[in-house]
Amino acid sequence: MRKIWVVIRREFVEKVRNKWFIISTVLGPVLMASFIVVPILMAGRGATERHVRIVDASGGDFGRELAGLLGGPVPVRADVVDVDLPNIEIVADSLTALVGEKTLDGYLIVTDATVSDGTAEYRGSNVSSQADMRILQQVLSEAVLTTRLARVGVDRSVVAAAQIPVRMRTVSIRGGEVTDSSGEAAFILAYAVWMLLYITILLYGVQVMGAVVEEKTSRIIEVLVSSLRPFQLLAGKIVGVGAVGLFQLSIWGLSAWWLYRRRAFVLELVGAPVTGSGGSLGFPEVAIGTVAIVLAYFLLGYFLYAAMFAAVAAMSNSEAEARQAQIPVVMLLVLPTILMVGILQEPDGTMAVALSLIPFCSPIAMPVRWAAVTVPPVEMAASLAILAVTLVLVIWLAARIYRVGILMYGKRPGPRELVRWIRA
Amino acid sequence: MAPPPVWLPVCSANWLIDLSHLWAPMSLDGIIELQGITKRYAGHIAVRDLSLVVPRGAVYGLLGPNGAGKTTTIRMIMNIIVPDQGRIRLFGSQGSGRDLSHLIGYLPEERGLYRKMRVFDLLVFLAETKGVPRRSAKEQADRWIGRLGLTDWASKPVNDLSKGMQQKVQFMATILHEPELLILDEPFSGFDPVNTQRMKDVVVELAQRGATVLFSTHIMEQAEKLCDSVCIISRGRKVLDGRVSEIRREHGARNVILSVDGGAAALPSVLADRSLVTRADQYPQYAEIELAPGADPQRLLEAVMRQGLTVRRFEVGEASLHKIFVDLVGPDAATARAEEALPDA
Repeated sequence: MRKIWVVIRREFVEKVRNKWFIISTVLGPVLMASFIVVPILMAGRGATERHVRIVDASGGDFGRELAGLLGGPVPVRADVVDVDLPNIEIVADSLTALVGEKTLDGYLIVTDATVSDGTAEYRGSNVSSQADMRILQQVLSEAVLTTRLARVGVDRSVVAAAQIPVRMRTVSIRGGEVTDSSGEAAFILAYAVWMLLYITILLYGVQVMGAVVEEKTSRIIEVLVSSLRPFQLLAGKIVGVGAVGLFQLSIWGLSAWWLYRRRAFVLELVGAPVTGSGGSLGFPEVAIGTVAIVLAYFLLGYFLYAAMFAAVAAMSNSEAEARQAQIPVVMLLVLPTILMVGILQEPDGTMAVALSLIPFCSPIAMPVRWAAVTVPPVEMAASLAILAVTLVLVIWLAARIYRVGILMYGKRPGPRELVRWIRA
Repeated sequence: MAPPPVWLPVCSANWLIDLSHLWAPMSLDGIIELQGITKRYAGHIAVRDLSLVVPRGAVYGLLGPNGAGKTTTIRMIMNIIVPDQGRIRLFGSQGSGRDLSHLIGYLPEERGLYRKMRVFDLLVFLAETKGVPRRSAKEQADRWIGRLGLTDWASKPVNDLSKGMQQKVQFMATILHEPELLILDEPFSGFDPVNTQRMKDVVVELAQRGATVLFSTHIMEQAEKLCDSVCIISRGRKVLDGRVSEIRREHGARNVILSVDGGAAALPSVLADRSLVTRADQYPQYAEIELAPGADPQRLLEAVMRQGLTVRRFEVGEASLHKIFVDLVGPDAATARAEEALPDA
């Protein structure tokens, strides 16, 4: 036991001291902060003013109406030239030259067909700007609507009064009770849980693999196994890397919580306008039970996959070989990810229930279901029991493969050889 | 193990001997005892029915060409791999090399260190894996780092060290916990001459202080200089073992080292005289000659002089271990390489 502890401590200290750990630990909260701040900054950003010319071949006031609509708070300014239909291309050519000289951003051609068929054409240097095109599109639609209504004698303001936005509130029912959280919040939570589990299990599982391969390629393994049992080494390594993972997760968790609590302060810091809602990111309330479930499945899932990654590494001779050999293991983890949408669509459906019982998928599938709906206790217990039994079995197998594999160099073993290793 | 505590009655010696028959058919003094161990791999036998005893306090050489089974034998002693047959006893009891790692300093043939770890931390960690308490591991690491002149490098990662310095670190890791038994697999291969000498000095010093040393090598000259006893193996089998002096007496015919101006090429007619020479190994600079039974070295010298050759060296002596080995197993086996002896030579 003392020797396992020595291995755990080395693994933890060396990993935490590593500059990549420090960088990723710091980068995590920065990324989270930018999730909050960047959309707000983008929204509040004083956009550069665009200058466009409206080429009006409709022979009426349509062009001037458009220009009038663009005169509002939108960052696009417009003036109008009236042309006859046959002369459009001549005018267009001279305007194209102006766009080339950057005195103009672009020009919009409107004709009779614009009002009758809804067609128009914009040519400009800013066509890739989503925001600019959306403004033009909206203004154009509005002008067409107004003109077409006027032609049948309807006042636009009457229509405007009839149009009101409809908001449907969704409320999630859990355990036969109406909760405060909305359906959207449940979805966001399930999504966040999935992201967290998928990324962390993969990230730290692969780290275990790297650590095992490193010991093999640097040939220190023989020094180690002369004083440590392979199982002590394996257990110490997996627990050590897992501890690093929990450490990093709790740093991220705490900083996310802090950032959310102090979001006003963070926004002020970057000079963004402070809005009451905390920007576009609505954080769902996370219950303690959910945290416990996520944590339990993270640990079980991590141990399951870390043991498999360690066995894969023990079979390989180099980093590159291990990366190739890990593919089947990663596929197991990707499977519930591909089926995520299905799980969220129908969290109590057959597929979701099956996936949350299959041990290699359940570490991700079950917490996602838990976040979305109420899972019957029997299913939860069955899922945990199956996972735990599989875990013991996989660790036993992995330890046997590891024990033989770490001292083997040369050809990677085939299935038959693997069976011999396990029996040995 | 060593004799039990002081409170034993005066007759303890008899008691010990009696009891020893119950659980130790071999000498109690053997720190390592192998009995009929065999290890098979798919397609070949790496070690075949090997028995040997390494006496306490000895410097013991395990000799043989590459692929003879030395590393496999040592790995079995360390319990890194398990023999298919036979028994291994360390320190007089059935424990494994791993359980006794606090008593054993093991330098494997395949060397390696954590490249990103700092030298000091690495040494402390490796000592701790052998059961040394953290505090004394730190003290020992400090002491040895100072002694081998690496003080300035103690907090640098292993990667920053030169190869020679890394070799020193590897060696320190082997002896840091002051083991009673050193097991060194090809200890001097890959080391530069300065480090080799330094390591030999430390090994000799540890041996003088009572440590037992088992080391393997394929270089007979090294073994000849350092060892009290040797075991020579070839193709997994023991060829002979015993004290070096006795082996020489028993197996070594009288030998002459002869070197003349013009090199060995000038010698053939003399060497062909079967009344004087049983056989001769010719090297560019000299010939190692085994005298025919009853032949007088003086007559050989006279025969050489009669050819008008100028003698530069004429040395009568015992056969070298290398020659004994070649005579016993034949030149083919002596140079047999590892082709058939995969996966571990």
